[in-house]
Amino acid sequence: MNDPAQGPELMERQPADWPSAEIGALYEEHSRAIYYLALRFLADPQKAEDATHDVFLKAFRKLDQFRHEASARTWLYRIAINHCQNLQQSWHNRHVTANSDDAIWEHSASRTDSPLRVLETKELGQRIQQTLDRLSDEYRLLLLLVADEELSYEQIAALVGQSTDAVRGKLHRARKNFALLFEQTA
Amino acid sequence: MPMKNRSKLSHEQQQHEQQAAGQETRQEKREFATTEELLRFEAAQTEVPPQVAERLKQSIANLAPPPRRPWWRNWFGQ
Repeated sequence: MNDPAQGPELMERQPADWPSAEIGALYEEHSRAIYYLALRFLADPQKAEDATHDVFLKAFRKLDQFRHEASARTWLYRIAINHCQNLQQSWHNRHVTANSDDAIWEHSASRTDSPLRVLETKELGQRIQQTLDRLSDEYRLLLLLVADEELSYEQIAALVGQSTDAVRGKLHRARKNFALLFEQTA
Repeated sequence: MPMKNRSKLSHEQQQHEQQAAGQETRQEKREFATTEELLRFEAAQTEVPPQVAERLKQSIANLAPPPRRPWWRNWFGQ
């Protein structure tokens, strides 16, 4: 199968058993990040699997639209975010009211500078999910994106359609809320 | 096996198992300074289920080839 010529980032690795070398390379490099975002954003492993599949299938269909100046990671995140948000809307899965994050922030004590407590890794996923579930979609998404070291604040701001300053401010509150809620899951 | 040897072996095994359990517990206990650190750690531990890649390969194989980028768009940088 002939695929459109792509930039050097896509051509560095060409997994042999993929019908498309380009999408194979993208998948090998970025699938973990996309799956993790979907897993923690959608809070459902099966939905995360489906979403990861669908995101890369969309990416394959849009390979000719891939812009050389954009990073593949950012491009895939954009597809993934749109996909997950559409799923959230269609499934009516929103459990958190819009103002809950700020309510947590306003009522928080000053304990949030302490490190997140020692814990057993077996419980980690469950506690992280419980905590993220109590945050708004916006804060959850920002935290998941900033956890990816490959993304700059500017890239995150572009992905969520906000200014860098706004993202920094919201992340500050999101981190504090997360830390408070996380302690409550212990 | 003589009783004494068996007893010693059993004791050594117990000690070994306790040590192993202790190491495992120490490995499981972690502290994270920031939310990002916590999420990065978990993301690094998270594996994409292999069936996703297999499904994707099958889905791509079932699709028609994607449209080729016109040569003139490459030429003019569009």
